[in-house]
Amino acid sequence: MFPKRFVLKRLLLLVPVLLGVATLVFSILHLSPGDPALTIAGERASQEFVERIRADLGLNDPIWVQYIDFLGKVARFNFGESYVINRNTTVREIMANTLPVTLELALYGQLFGVLFGIPLGVLSAVKQDTLTDHATRVGALAGISVPIFWSGPLLILLFAQVLGVLPTSGRISSVYNVAAIRTTGMVTVDTLIAGEWEMFRSAVKHMFLPSIVIGVYSTALISRMMRSSMLEVVRQDYMRTARAKGQGAKITVLKHGFRNALIPVVTIIGIQFGGLLGGAVLTETVFAIGGIGTLLVEAIRVGDYPIVQGTVLTFALLFTLVNLAVDVTYSYLDPRIQQ
Amino acid sequence: MSSQDDGVSRRTFLGAAGGAAVTVGLAGCSGTDDGSDGSDGGDGSDGSDALLRYGRGSHSSTLDFQNSTSGEVAKVTEQIYDTLINFEPGESTLTDGLASDYSLDGQTASLTLKEGVTFHNGEEFTAQDFVATYRRFVDSEYEYYAGDDYVSAYGPFTLGSWIDDIQVDGDYEMTIQLTQTYAPFLRNLAMFAAAVHSEAAIEEFGTDLSENAVGTGPFELDTLDDTNEQIRLTAYDDYWGDGPQVDEVVFVTVGENSTRAQSLASGELDVIDGIGAQSSQQVSNADGVELVRTDGINVGYMAFNITAVEEFQDRRVRQAISHAIDTEAIVEQIYSGFATEASQPLPPNVLGHNDDIDPYEYDPERAQSLLEEAGYGDGFSFELATFQNPRGYNPSPIQTAETVSSNLGEVGIDVEINQQSFSPFLEYTAQGRHDACFLGWYTDNADPDNFAYVLLHPQVDEGELSDGQDWVSFDAEGYNTSNRASWANQEYMDLVEEAQRTTAESDRAALYNEAMRIAHDEAPWVYLDYAEELRGVADRVSGFQIAAISGPYLNLVSLE
Repeated sequence: MFPKRFVLKRLLLLVPVLLGVATLVFSILHLSPGDPALTIAGERASQEFVERIRADLGLNDPIWVQYIDFLGKVARFNFGESYVINRNTTVREIMANTLPVTLELALYGQLFGVLFGIPLGVLSAVKQDTLTDHATRVGALAGISVPIFWSGPLLILLFAQVLGVLPTSGRISSVYNVAAIRTTGMVTVDTLIAGEWEMFRSAVKHMFLPSIVIGVYSTALISRMMRSSMLEVVRQDYMRTARAKGQGAKITVLKHGFRNALIPVVTIIGIQFGGLLGGAVLTETVFAIGGIGTLLVEAIRVGDYPIVQGTVLTFALLFTLVNLAVDVTYSYLDPRIQQ
Repeated sequence: MSSQDDGVSRRTFLGAAGGAAVTVGLAGCSGTDDGSDGSDGGDGSDGSDALLRYGRGSHSSTLDFQNSTSGEVAKVTEQIYDTLINFEPGESTLTDGLASDYSLDGQTASLTLKEGVTFHNGEEFTAQDFVATYRRFVDSEYEYYAGDDYVSAYGPFTLGSWIDDIQVDGDYEMTIQLTQTYAPFLRNLAMFAAAVHSEAAIEEFGTDLSENAVGTGPFELDTLDDTNEQIRLTAYDDYWGDGPQVDEVVFVTVGENSTRAQSLASGELDVIDGIGAQSSQQVSNADGVELVRTDGINVGYMAFNITAVEEFQDRRVRQAISHAIDTEAIVEQIYSGFATEASQPLPPNVLGHNDDIDPYEYDPERAQSLLEEAGYGDGFSFELATFQNPRGYNPSPIQTAETVSSNLGEVGIDVEINQQSFSPFLEYTAQGRHDACFLGWYTDNADPDNFAYVLLHPQVDEGELSDGQDWVSFDAEGYNTSNRASWANQEYMDLVEEAQRTTAESDRAALYNEAMRIAHDEAPWVYLDYAEELRGVADRVSGFQIAAISGPYLNLVSLE
């Protein structure tokens, strides 16, 4: 049964959260140094030219007028046009171009994390205090500790330079005009839909290293959480009962233990996915994949306020939606949570 | 009942999740297998050999040259569009572009345009196209004026401030009346921002010319791909000039210098720019690629805000600081030798550079004695504002600031470093809030006026100047804030203004020679460096001409 009331309640809670984020973003940007008019006009502009732009942008209006105007735009999810990065193009259009890039990367990173993290965690718990367990735990610690700006270039050096089996950067070889077959903006999906197998192969090879780099952290975190959660579950009475009934160890772990141990792991997966969206910045930078994280950092650097506002609010929205999805998933795993 | 239903859903849910995981796992494995076969490892070499791949640090999301002052935009628009007058590839001299004949006589520029040139939309190029382009840029009365919030500052800076009227005689004769005699004008016509749109395209697309770029250049726009930050161009077969010799060009964005250099080394790119000291090593050490370098047309400096700091109003203090800073060490060690020490505002490859002037010698003792002479032997303190991000003329601003601080500490001057990101830094210093600041300049048109007048002339009315002082406040009416030194030396200003009105090259050179002597001796800046231009080029590329201004000239490039 779909928990309608629960979801509706959570959706309504989005409003104050987003209003808070919007107000915070507006305040930070207006308190920070840097004049958008000067940013737009550039070094060559005369004072008169800068003044004209300032008036056009409404920057001479009282701050509360600007704030109300901004909230009106937020309500319509319309952040206006970019000042610098892509002048005279709407932020919505710019985000529509960059969001799929980051989503694709985060999805593959997360898949990698789930595919390897969960089995490793279960294995580690079942084989507690054996060599396998120690190796998994040390591996997880290393995965959490190694920074992307170190592991990324090293992997590029090994696979692209030394072995020459994978490409250095980008999402697909520049030989291919992937824009011509765009449907979702996700390069592996678009090439698959178009049935362009050579392009698909190139896209998979390009996404392989970035997905691993971004996924290693998830793997480590998920496996650690899975291990501790599993260890807790195997000590429960119902597990002992199941074993006492004569059920085999494997069945007990998979049938009774796994599902119950999964609940805290799902939380981590959810939070981690939100984190991946933001954390993709480093991976995107190292592998020259221009996603929304890179866009946000660049917008902050050059003072492109509309893009900063748009991307931060989109992140906030996505993060809360992911958390909502996590909560809904809980209710499937454990119906008591709805109450 | 409900519990049973839920049980089934959960099982279905978990089963489906597991199934999906297995599917993706298999896909992942097949990806690995594909990846390890190596056939696509040096990705791109498997493609057409007539595709030239140009790697750079930033994408150009607009391809309308009237909408941007960015050099990244210029790199692409130079391929799609033409200007009336061109820079000779790899030189700063002028040659014909869409105009076969051009001259400047006093306040009148006369141009004869080439016949038989066609735009990518098939329309023939005429003088009317230039007029429409000009009016779209600066004339708010024009029906297709692009708008104040659309056009770039190059509108007034390059054309609008200087052009009084354009008269057209037939399709191919054009006379431009200037507001005053302005010697650099023909060079302004060679700037990327003075390129020519098709009048028909202006009328059809208005301000939507970026994705509908229609020029007369060697390449046509195929795809502007903002998602993958790539721009694809295809050869224009009816191009009037030399080339193009490749079928396609793709501009690829790779933000990190080191990743870009690796991509060149692994054969994924053919030409790269934006190479720092570290990545230049990568390029030099790689097989099959070459590091190409040439002198740039730029200057890096530290400006004294003479109005703000009393000590700086004594030129002996400015000279002392110039002697106390070890610019040779900065250039050789911090900039890794990819720059030369500066001696004056004009770089060596610009008309009017005074070859008889040497950089200030590093001499702390001389600096100390000059300070004592000026009455500041016990030292003083000031704030040095700097940007944090690397710029071509100052690739390590923080390290440079620390060196300056340490050098000046040796002569008793205490320097407090104020580091900011570039945008707030520009605002801070344009308002004259700094004591001293780093900055630099890449030329727009390789004309001496573009340095001497733009960067060190206050451009205020005479009434704003005071007798006996060679500085003026940032608050003066109409002050040129690009002059971060607030320097207003009458003798220098007279020379630079006269040079602006002098069209004979040798006479202009003599005037600037003298102006440079004054700028050196009066030291409103500490002259730091002239940075080199660096490119990485794969061996399979031939005909690549590195250029410090305009270009890249990709129409001349072929692939082996």
